[in-house]
Parts: sequence; structure tokens; C-alpha cells
Amino acid sequence: MIDSALIEKINSVLAEEFEVDIEKIKPEAPLMETLDLDSLDLVDMVVLIEHNFGFTVIAKDFVGIKTFNDFYHFINSRIDEKGEFPK
Amino acid sequence: MKKESSRNEWSGKSRGGALGYLSFVYIIKTFGLTAAYALLAIVVIYFIPFAPKATSSVWYFSRKILGNSRLGSLIFLYKNYFSLGVTLIDKTAVAAGKADEFSFEFHEPEEVKKILNDKSGAIIIGAHFGNWEVGAPFFDKYGKEMRVVMMDAEYQKIKMILEREKRVDTFKVISISEDIFSNIFEIRDALAEGAYVAIQGDRLTSSTKNETVKFMGADAQFPLGPFIIAARFGFPVVFYYAVRTGFKHYSFHFSLCPVSGSNPQKRVFEKLILEEYVKSLEKVVKIAPEQWYNYYKFWI
Repeated sequence: MIDSALIEKINSVLAEEFEVDIEKIKPEAPLMETLDLDSLDLVDMVVLIEHNFGFTVIAKDFVGIKTFNDFYHFINSRIDEKGEFPK
Repeated sequence: MKKESSRNEWSGKSRGGALGYLSFVYIIKTFGLTAAYALLAIVVIYFIPFAPKATSSVWYFSRKILGNSRLGSLIFLYKNYFSLGVTLIDKTAVAAGKADEFSFEFHEPEEVKKILNDKSGAIIIGAHFGNWEVGAPFFDKYGKEMRVVMMDAEYQKIKMILEREKRVDTFKVISISEDIFSNIFEIRDALAEGAYVAIQGDRLTSSTKNETVKFMGADAQFPLGPFIIAARFGFPVVFYYAVRTGFKHYSFHFSLCPVSGSNPQKRVFEKLILEEYVKSLEKVVKIAPEQWYNYYKFWI
């Protein structure tokens, strides 16, 4: 089970960074299409994760992430590994 | 900022086949540099009618941007193709160990020296202008590795030539394919390891975002990719160009981008770096406009 505060934080940073209506961010919605991301926007995604959630990502981390739900699980699992929830 | 799918873009392949290139390698080795230049002086005439797309773009540059007359443009066209050939010959000669036949001059401000001597990585942004590769071996003096970001089609051609010639190049390549996602991590990791990452800041491809900027007095499109990478990863940004200023003589121009540094929150930051880049590029293009080698519709 993912902490709802973490989901809220993820939604809020994604909506702000990629300038999308937060209402459009639903767990089952496709991540790339909803945020209108191309490969270069993923540079922003990498930096955003590192700045807001405090861990470094590598290319293979993104394999299999299709929906926001997949993304929440990915962030959650990495935070669990680190053992702290960033404020 | 817009995602563009226009005719103003580079196909990912440069003019000139590997066979032609290898012929020049043979002539340089067998008869020397001067013979290669002499052959080139004749060969370039072929390209004026038989490379219509490139000829048209050089003609536009000369007539509309530089304001040359028709006769002046015809001479400019010849000089441009000849210059490109000299560039290919010279970089081949330098890579083959003939650097001592050339003289080099460094315009390298103190702040750039400090960054290049530092242990941290740096982003080097150049252009398809002059002959940046002729200067690549000199980056060794800073004791760091250079990784050059290059389109895959271009890299495959160079790789074939290197393998055929049994040569090892003076830099490693980060080969960019259609999906640049994994390449972004390669670039980030190289910078984190303290390498220089060299990117050309002036070529559009269909998969990149671009920005319209005033360049040489008219609106031109530049890719935003190199500048987004420079803006987000927070490493110092150095602009670098190698201009041929005489017979077997090159001037290396370095300048530090005054707005480099990390600023992930502001999307305007890449545009500020791009503006600084365009200013620095204009300075060198004005020194030797015939060394401008973007053979597609650059201005809009």
C-alpha cells in the first residue's frame, strides 16, 4: 500500500513541472501521454526525481513504467530501499 | 518552444561517401597534404551542380544572409566546398599523426583553463563550423576523456572508416539514435565521471525541440536538446570552435557560458544558454563565414 501523502506529493510535483491539470493525473492514466513527454522531457523527469525524492535513477528504472500507478510504485519502492520519505 | 516537424532539419547524414573519404586518406599518405589540397581544388567543382540541396543552402546563406552579389556568391560557394574538403583532409592528417605539420593558436581565457583543468565534468558545445575535430587531440593536455555526442548514421560512417584504417580515434562517441532516452543517462554518467561531453549545438533533427533565434541578422532554428541537457545537469558549459585562419593554421576559440549552472526549475534557462551560444557562434562565423557547414535550410 502506497502512502496517500506520497501520491499527493508525486502528483503535485509532476503537475507543476510539466504544466498539466492535476485532475488529469489518475493512477490508471498513461504517464507519457498525459504529461505530453518526449525523450528530452525525460531529462526533466530524471532531475525532478533526484531533486524531490533524493535518489539517482538509471535508464532501466523506467522500463515497464506505463501508468502513473507504475510510477508511484517505482518511487515508493526506491524510497523504501532508502528508508525515508522526503518532505 | 515547439516540437517541430519541418523541412528545416538535418537528415542525420553528412555529405560525402566513405569511399571518397578513404581516397583522400590514400592520397595524404602517399603524396602528402599539398597533393590532397590540389586534387580537392578540382573535385569541389563537381559538388556545385551535383549537390543541389547543399548548393542551394550555401547560395541562400551567401546571398540573403551575407548579402554577397551573384558573382561573390559563386566564389563563396567554391570557397565553402573547398573549405569543407580541407577540413576533412586536415582532420584526417592530424588523426594520422601529422599534427606537427600544422600550427595552432589558443584563445583560451583563464576561467576556461580553470574549468578544463578541474576534475569536474564539463559540457563543450560546438558547431558544424570550422574544424572542431582537429583540436580534439589537444584536449588530452587537460587529462580528461572526451565523449562526443553524434547522430548514429554519422557515427556508423566514421566507425567504418576507423576500422578500415585500423585507427583509434582521439575521443569516444555517444551515438544518438531516434530514441535518445538511454543516451541522456550516458551523457549524465560521463559528466559525473569527470569527462568532457562535446555536443554540436546547431543541428535540428526531426525528433528534437527547437527554438527560433536571431542569428546573423535573420531568424534561424536551433535545437533545444543540447541546451536542455546543459541547463539541467548543472555542469559548466564551454563554447568551443576551431577556425582555419591560414594555410595549415588553426585558431581555437573557447569561451565560458556565463549562465551555466544548475537551475532545474526554470524552463527559460536553456534559452539563456542558447542565446549565449548564438552570440559566441556569430562572432566566429563572422571571422570565416565560408567555414559554415550546415547544408540544409537553416534560416526560416
